[in-house]
This record gives sequence, C-alpha cells and structure tokens, in this order.
Amino acid sequence: MIDVNKTGRKLLQRHETYLVLLILVFSAIIANASDAFLTSGNLLSVLRGGSGIGILAVAFFVALIGGGIDISFPAIAISGQYIAIRTMLALQLDSIGIAFLISITVGIVFGLINAFFITRFRIQAMIVTLATSSLFHGALLEFVGTDSVNVGRLPTSITDFGRMTVFQFQTAEGPQGLSIFVGILAVVVLATWFLLQHTMLGRGIYAIGGDAEGAKRAGFNVTRIQYFIFGYVGFLSGIMGIIHVALIRYAHPANIVGDNTLLRVIAAVILGGTSITGGRGTLTGTMLGVLLIVLVDRHLIMLGVPPAWTNFFVGVVIVVGVVATHLRMKFEKHRRGELTVERAH
Amino acid sequence: MAEPILEVRNISKSYAGVQALRDVSMSVAPGEVRCLVGENGSGKSTLIKTIGGAVVADAGEIVIGGTSFGSSVHPVEAIRHGIQIIYQDLSLFPNLSVAENISLNGMIEQSRRLANWKEMRRIAQDTLDQLDENIDVDMPLDHCSMAQRQIVAISRALTQGAKLIIMDEPTSAITAEDVSRLFKTVRQLNAQGVAMVFVSHKLDEVFEIADTVTVLRDGQKVGDYPAQELDEDKLTFLMSGQNLEFKPFTFDPEAEGAPLLLETRALSLRDQFSDVDLKIYGGEVVGLTGLVGSGRTELALSLFGLNPADHGEILVDGKPVKITGPQDAKRYGISYLPEDRHGQGLFEDQTIADNVVVTVIDRLREFLGLVDNRKREGVWRQWIERLRVKTPSAQNMVSTLSGGNQQRVVLAKWLAPEPRVFILDGPTIGVDVVSKARIHDVVQELARSGIGVLVISDEVTEIMQVCSRALVMQEGRIVAEFKDLQSVDGSEISKVIAREENAEVVS
Repeated sequence: MIDVNKTGRKLLQRHETYLVLLILVFSAIIANASDAFLTSGNLLSVLRGGSGIGILAVAFFVALIGGGIDISFPAIAISGQYIAIRTMLALQLDSIGIAFLISITVGIVFGLINAFFITRFRIQAMIVTLATSSLFHGALLEFVGTDSVNVGRLPTSITDFGRMTVFQFQTAEGPQGLSIFVGILAVVVLATWFLLQHTMLGRGIYAIGGDAEGAKRAGFNVTRIQYFIFGYVGFLSGIMGIIHVALIRYAHPANIVGDNTLLRVIAAVILGGTSITGGRGTLTGTMLGVLLIVLVDRHLIMLGVPPAWTNFFVGVVIVVGVVATHLRMKFEKHRRGELTVERAH
Repeated sequence: MAEPILEVRNISKSYAGVQALRDVSMSVAPGEVRCLVGENGSGKSTLIKTIGGAVVADAGEIVIGGTSFGSSVHPVEAIRHGIQIIYQDLSLFPNLSVAENISLNGMIEQSRRLANWKEMRRIAQDTLDQLDENIDVDMPLDHCSMAQRQIVAISRALTQGAKLIIMDEPTSAITAEDVSRLFKTVRQLNAQGVAMVFVSHKLDEVFEIADTVTVLRDGQKVGDYPAQELDEDKLTFLMSGQNLEFKPFTFDPEAEGAPLLLETRALSLRDQFSDVDLKIYGGEVVGLTGLVGSGRTELALSLFGLNPADHGEILVDGKPVKITGPQDAKRYGISYLPEDRHGQGLFEDQTIADNVVVTVIDRLREFLGLVDNRKREGVWRQWIERLRVKTPSAQNMVSTLSGGNQQRVVLAKWLAPEPRVFILDGPTIGVDVVSKARIHDVVQELARSGIGVLVISDEVTEIMQVCSRALVMQEGRIVAEFKDLQSVDGSEISKVIAREENAEVVS
C-alpha cells in the first residue's frame, strides 16, 4: 500500500525533485528555441561530453561527504593523463589498458600524498590540496614537459577508445551509439553508491563528515578512512584523465587545470544539494547537478547567448541554485520550529 | 549484596600541580542508581573520565566486574566490560539516521565490512522497544528532539552490552516533562539489572532518582549517603562545606522613589512578541519567565539591539530612543548577558583579563589609540576581585576555568562598562548550587547599587530567590505580573507558565 499523500510530501521535501523540475524547464526552453536539441545525436553527445565532469563530480562528492574539500583533482587528472601519454609514446606502448594503469597509479599516488599531509599534520584538506595542486602541476611541467601531443601523434588505442560504444542502434541520421565514457561513469556511480551506502567504510565516510571526533570515539579508524577518501579521489581523477584525452584527442599539460573544470565540478556538486560542511548529500543529486551544468554549458548558444557570455550565465545558474538551496533549508528548519533569530556577532 | 559492577579504589590524579582527585573510592552495584554530585571543579568529570579510560590516574585501582585493571583502563576494555559513558554532547551523528546512530558502534566492534541496513534497523527497533520508546528509526538524528537524542544514546549503549551507564548532566538540556520520561527509562533499565551513574547539578532531581548519593568536594570524597537521608540543605552543606542562606529580595520602586530607567510601550516584533509594556526601575530585580519560545529571549535580544523590534517604543530615562544594534544599547547603558556563554559570551582561547576588558576597550585608550595597560589592569583586577573568580592568574586562558568561574568572567565582562540596566539571560544554567548562590548574591548587590536588573530564567525557584518582581510571557505577550514575590507561592507562577491559569494576574 502506498500512501500517495505521504509520498508526495516526501517528494516535495527532496532536493532532487526541484533539480529535475529545473532541468525539465530548462530543456523545454531550449527545445522550444532549437530543433537541434531533442535529437538523439545531440543528447548522446551531451552524455559523452559530460561523463568526465561526472566522474570528477563523484570524486569531489565523496571527499565532501567525508568533510574535506579536495580541489587537486584537475591537477591529478592532467598529471595522470599526460604522464600516461608521454610514457606510451616514449616506450612505444599502445594499449588502452596501459594508459589507464599508468594514469590511475599516478592518481592514487598523488591522492595518498594529499592524505599524508591531511592526516599527519591535521591540516584542512582545502589548504593541503591548494598547495599540492600547484606542486603536482608544477612538477609535471618541469619533469615531464610542456609539448602538446595532437591527434596525429596520439597512440591509436586512445583514439579507438574514444570511438567505442556500449550500445548501438539505427536512426534516421544513421547508426549511433552510447559512448563507453557513459558506461564507465555508470559503473563508477554504481560502485560508489554501493560503497557509500552498503559498506562500513562508506558509513564511516558519512560519520566523519558528520562529526570527526565522534567517529573516532565510535571506533572508526579515521586516518585509514581519510587515506581511502583521497586515494579514491586520485583513482577517479586518473580515470577521467584518460577519458578526457580520448574525448578531445589532444594532450597538453595545461588542459583540465586551465579551463573551467574545477568550477563546473564544484558547482555541480553544490547544486546537487551536498552540504559544503560535509556529511550530507546524495549521488543522485550530484548527477542531476552535473546534468544541469552540462546542459547549460553546451546549450546557451542555442538560445542565442554569445559564447563569451556562457560563463556569466553558468554563474547565474550557480548563484540562483545555491541561494534557493539555502532558503529551502532555512524554511525546513523553520517548519521544524527551530529558533531562527538572526544573531549578530 | 551482589558483586559490584564497578569499584574504584583510592584514585588520585593531578593536572599541572592541581590535585583533581585525591584518594577517591566508589563502588556501584548492579541495578543501582547512583548520583555523583559536587561543585564545579570538585573532580566529578575527572572521576568519570578515569572510569571510562579517557584519563589515566596517577594512583589507585579500577575493578570492573571483578577484573582489576590497575590504575588505568583502556577505553576499549572499559566498553568490553560493560561501562558506557554518555557525555553531555552525546557523541551522536546529526547527519545519520536513528538506526545507524544506535547500531553503528556495535557493528564497528564486530569489524563488519558491509553495512546491513535491515539488521541495523532491527537492532535499533528492538532496543527502542525494550525501552518502550516510539522513535522512527529511519528519521535523521537532526530531526530528533534533545530528549529523543538521549534515548538514542542510551539505546546505543545498550547495544554494546552496557552494564553500567554513566550520564554526564543529562537533565540540563531537556524540559521537566522529558526528565520524567528519562527517569522512567532509567527505572526500567534498573529493573533489568543495568546500573546508572548520574552526574548532576539539580538537587531536586537527585532526590527523585537516586538510591545513593556520592558527594565530592575539592577532589576528595565527602561520603556516600542514602538519598532518603538527605535534603537540599544537607546536600548543599556537604557539597560546599558551608551553609548557604537564601535571602529574599524585596524592593518597592514607588515607595523608594526609584528612577524609571527603561520602559517599552507596545513593543512588537512580528512572529516573536507583541504589545510588550515593560518597566525597569533602578534598584529592582525583575524576573521574566515563560516557556521556551514564549518570546522572552527574543524580547531581551531586542532590548540589546540584536533583534530590533519593528513596532512600539523604547524609552531610556523617559526619552524615546532607537536601539538597532548593541552599540546603541551600550551607549544607553544597557548590558546583556547571553544565554549561551560558550557561543556568545566568551572568547575561550583568550586570557581572563582580556575577556573582562573587551567591553570597555574604547575607554582604555590613551593618545595614539593604544591601550593604557595600567588602566586595563585596574579594570580586570577590580572585577575579578568583586566577583571572586577563582584562578591562579588572570593571564590564564578562560578555557582553563570551571563552568561556575567562567560564568563569573562573563558577568565581569558585561559589568565592566558599568551598565545602568543589566539583562541576564539564564545566568545560572549549568552551574552548581554554590556558584548559583554566589551569582544570586552578586545580582542583588548590583540592584542595591542602583542598577535595574532583568533576570530571564526557566526556574521558578530561581525567580523567587533572586527577584523582587516577576513577569510571565506566553506566546509573545506578557500575561501576568507578580509585584510582590514574598506574598505569592511559586506554584501560582508555575501554573501561569504552563497556561493552566490564563487570566491577567496581578498580585
């Protein structure tokens, strides 16, 4: 038996409901302005292009749930990618497995370096990762190089990987398929969901984000969990590094760190309803946040917004989304009868 | 008698030369309720931390369920042997569900890899059923009331096989009704053989629940007393080593021709309070009471400019004034002692002296705007002496002081500007009887010096002891005034607060 009224009320209390509505409204507006939006080709391309951001958002989300703001993922992703590509070229290795192996190894090692500073000296993750971002990227430029690798020189396994699909079908526009990037994102999301919801390690991550001291008293090994969190961020960043080079078919050590990736990822996770102070948030929300950001990012041009203004409008969406989230939470608290007198300091 | 579940023998502990515990012994039997009482700084916290393994004693022996652990027990061993300590902050996770809060600790102890939600819900539900409590196990903890959170903490202790639960001041954060529910739960546990140790300040509750009362004073045990043999005066004497006298305060502003210092006319703030007419004369102590949410704290904050009213007038010395921020209030000689002294009252990692002078720093400036150190010292010396703050040095951090002494530093801080109207919000929350009596003395002494004092308190007994006149608020309005507190009975005031009597009472 389902109580429709109760289910409805629960739905209204969920942040995700509002995000879905927002996405639908925005999609309707673009669909109305351009016939090109609701084509299978365009939608598949949105998913393919957004997968990398999605994986990084999962990484940032996991760290945030555990109470840490890790902003080193762009530097880690590009380090993994560029070291993998240059190694493959130097040693004449041409295998996508090796690409992932190298990139992920670099990612995990860099993540563990973050974890070392965070746990050993008890410094806030944001400060540590701000410093190590610069350190990782600087070391990459100094020790690995600054040459760009364009599509002609890229190992063919990388470009082949970019064309792989997990699922094909025929359309009026010709054969189409769902990119393997989306498949990888799906596996990452499912695995992370299982980890967070159904393992003690995952509950420990939530517990640390809720009250780190309490987690320690409850018997969680807080240090070990933190090593896991930042190692996992590195692992996912390593995966994204390879996806990114396969997507744009061009490797350059200023990619990912030099564009708006960091901002887009943080915006997606915050829009997704994850608390910036840790412990609260859902993967569903995060994925919806990513979808919204990617949609806005790629389709403003269909609404006639000049490309130079795209950043501005993404900014508007973030500000509106964050303020709306804040107001909704405040309203919820008020409804529960908590004193809301604003006190000056 | 059954074998004691816990025995501590001749425990001693000193911190940086201060003897926190001296040769303390205590024994608790299964199914017993013990109250551990003592002034702030008498060693209660140190003793329970020693039992839980958070503090290592210098000497003595701890025996749990017949097993001796020498002078120190590892926290994990203490838990394995059935000792559970519930500290005031409860150590719960606000972002997790009730079910998880109850069952996670036990799962960690079993080194589980997977989180079995079905099992966690079942364990939580079974434990709550055992306590006859009806809390939705899927509810996030931050939707629970303080009383429900305590039940969750007790349930968690039970899932780990608790045989002795020690609760640190469990009743200071919950309402009277919730206290009696908590006590009902405690009795149920006793029937099942679980022993409880309460650390408490509130004497009436001590008498209601305890079998035996253990009294500590200055780190030493005064003795164990059956609760029936004690009354409030006796216990106060045991705790303080002196007889505290309660001196009622009477003051008739009209007869004395006292000046009207502060007046409000139809003061209102949407959703918080409305049509408040309030008068405070120099030399009187006015009590303001009412349930949480009745608007008393909101009104007080408005008078201090932190929560400005949107309608009505405030008059100081008969002249209308605008108070839109604490700076205005300070200029008109109004001081406010906040309810939450940790959040709003003190800079805990600064020195005692700096905390006292921070409100008058403008007046201590010499030319060039630098602080005149001699004047500064004059101010803190005067107030630390007047309020008898117990500390080896005023240069120590505030966080080194006990609760009662911290409260005196907050008082000193807000008295240093020499206010004419002093508002105290919950001035004795969380302090013991002895400190409380001293704070009451200070408040009355202030009134005698001509200051108009407004005391906000939940406790009718406190209002009766310290005030000369009392006002009761309900749903944002002042509904009753008791002009002469000597001629009324406390229960009359309680009835108005609880809305059993709803008339405009003027006595």
